[in-house]
Amino acid sequence: MAKSTKLIALSVIIFAVAASSIGTSAARSQSEFTLAGEWIVTSKPIDGQMASPNGISLGFPDRDMIFERDGDLRTGVVLREDVGQNVHPLGVWRIDGDQFSTTFQLWCPNANGPCGSIVMRGQFLEENKIKGTMTAFFNLRDDRTPTGYDTWTFSFVGNRVGGGPN
Amino acid sequence: MPPLRRSLKSLASILAAVVLLLTLATPGLAGNEFKGRWTLRITVPEAPNSTIERTFFVTLDVSPRGESLHGRANVTDEAGKTVGAAWRQVGKELSVAYELPCQVGAPCASLILQGRVKGGGILIKKGTVIVMWDTKNDRNPSLYDTSNGTFRGDRIEE
Repeated sequence: MAKSTKLIALSVIIFAVAASSIGTSAARSQSEFTLAGEWIVTSKPIDGQMASPNGISLGFPDRDMIFERDGDLRTGVVLREDVGQNVHPLGVWRIDGDQFSTTFQLWCPNANGPCGSIVMRGQFLEENKIKGTMTAFFNLRDDRTPTGYDTWTFSFVGNRVGGGPN
Repeated sequence: MPPLRRSLKSLASILAAVVLLLTLATPGLAGNEFKGRWTLRITVPEAPNSTIERTFFVTLDVSPRGESLHGRANVTDEAGKTVGAAWRQVGKELSVAYELPCQVGAPCASLILQGRVKGGGILIKKGTVIVMWDTKNDRNPSLYDTSNGTFRGDRIEE
């Protein structure tokens, strides 16, 4: 075999092995993202919107969130000891690559006040860091929104402080 | 006392006891407490901005919430896939939130179901569903596409 042919064949093999390795590595890192663990999530308004159009706000406290996974059951809880010892709003989550979604119920001790649910949508910036938006759907009618419910969205950043894949 | 009259009196006593038992049993049901196993019939658009609707059934196994304001539930779809849900109830007002199991190639979403538990805790009629899809939409206040749907719930086991 000519020297140039050998060189080309070797280059093709090296390229194929490298491409295969990169693909496997990317696929592995995508599938390894998990919310399981404890996160401190900080939030801030988007475009200065401190409350919903109907004036309801959740404030912007740091949220201590714990996510767990048991097979297909993915659960979450927010530890709001700053509000009360037994204040533990519950939620669920799912993940697709580096994108995730979680849904929580709001904790509403006042039966006469408005309540609602939260949907968090976000992505992993790295294994232990996430960012995204939280949307509150309050059970207050508002015909100006597509769903017909008072809706407020703000942004968040989260850092894992415990647990996780490692 | 003639035998017939005595029999009627006994029957009246038995009926009174039955009524009393039913009355005593009623408060637990009259609370419309969300518990047990439910079948939900959910109708939502099949995709963001679609006018075509799809209807599917899920089974909800509701865990007791104890003293908490919130509870958990397991949602099992017709394919047998089970995911978690979180619920709260204030009076008759119920909210159940869960993440749809995503199917390859189909749009995925989060669901928030709201309704009133009626009939002594066995029925949810004319419930509403907020669907928040995974597709981004800067013109929507949630920054994602949303839709509305409906649901009905029937308790099948206490």
